[in-house]
Amino acid sequence: MADEGGLAAASELAAHDSVTPVSLPALFIAFLTVSLFGFGGGLVWARRIAVDRRHWLSEADFADIVSLCQFMPGPNIVGIAVCTGAKLRGGIGAIAALCGFILIPWSVGLALGTLYLEYAQVPVLRNILGGVSATAAGLLIAAGLRLLGPHRRRPAAVLFAALAFTLMAFTKLPLLAVLFGLVPLSIAAAGIEKARAA
Amino acid sequence: MNGTSSLITLSVHLALLSAISFGGFPTVLPDVRTLVVTAHGWATDQEFANFFAMSQAIPGPNMILMMSLVGWKVAGFPGAVMSAFATFGPPCTIYYVAYRLWDRFRAAPWQDIVRRGLVPVTLGLVVASGTVMARTADVSWQAVSVTAAAAFLMLATRMNPLLILFAGGALGGLGLL
Repeated sequence: MADEGGLAAASELAAHDSVTPVSLPALFIAFLTVSLFGFGGGLVWARRIAVDRRHWLSEADFADIVSLCQFMPGPNIVGIAVCTGAKLRGGIGAIAALCGFILIPWSVGLALGTLYLEYAQVPVLRNILGGVSATAAGLLIAAGLRLLGPHRRRPAAVLFAALAFTLMAFTKLPLLAVLFGLVPLSIAAAGIEKARAA
Repeated sequence: MNGTSSLITLSVHLALLSAISFGGFPTVLPDVRTLVVTAHGWATDQEFANFFAMSQAIPGPNMILMMSLVGWKVAGFPGAVMSAFATFGPPCTIYYVAYRLWDRFRAAPWQDIVRRGLVPVTLGLVVASGTVMARTADVSWQAVSVTAAAAFLMLATRMNPLLILFAGGALGGLGLL
């Protein structure tokens, strides 16, 4: 079984080597876009660009990165930029993606910041923002469901996804409690599943 | 001099908080508020709330921007830059190291099991955070239908999400939500 895994990894590596590496400016621009469009949910854009449009990552690769980032401190979307960059181009790729994500939006945001504070009370502006956040919430739900797609035929996966969703959305349990409570059980279930299949 | 020592205090605090901000920076916001408003009086409660609203309204790295505005208030432009680094530096280092380790053991059989256990739980959490966001944003049944319509369009079509967001913003701007 270990051989099988090794072979799969080797062929995957070969497939990666045969395509030209992603350019650093492309990474910079991709995450600049994620940053600028990602009102409250950069995940939606990161998935769309890296998976749907550029085919840099498979749905499973991306889900891997999202999961890993959720398990670590900090803004998850910054982690997605760092990990995607690292996967495609190593350390320099991580830096390119991170700079794309932060540099320009941060400068513009800081400049706009002081201006916006003066107009924060204008009703039309607040209404527009309200509409945008309602929409953004729907997009985030959809992005999560899409990423779950590859797992939908595994009963254990569906069960644990539903449990995580319910505990987080409908109880006051802290995120860490949900994460560290469910993940060991979920991993155990996956282990049993694999042992049975073998 | 006073500004400098305030800035050092703020940066060190932000760096520590960002390194333990599991689940994203918003989880440690109450702590930042205590430091900035209660303990040091660098900003008023109202100012702090405005920083938050503003960072949410401007696209881009929200929490990094919010902390930069706090830093700006404390020590001007150098304060903004220092606070930004303190907010994204530590987590980025952790992300990078962890991902390299994860990638190195890509072929290991145990990793497949961990992945198959880990992924469903974390994606369930993504869907939940969308729902929690919806609960704050959806103040009316119209807003609830906008959320549902956005999710449906995203799942069922290849429509550009920017168009969907634009439509939602327009409906809000017309006062329909």
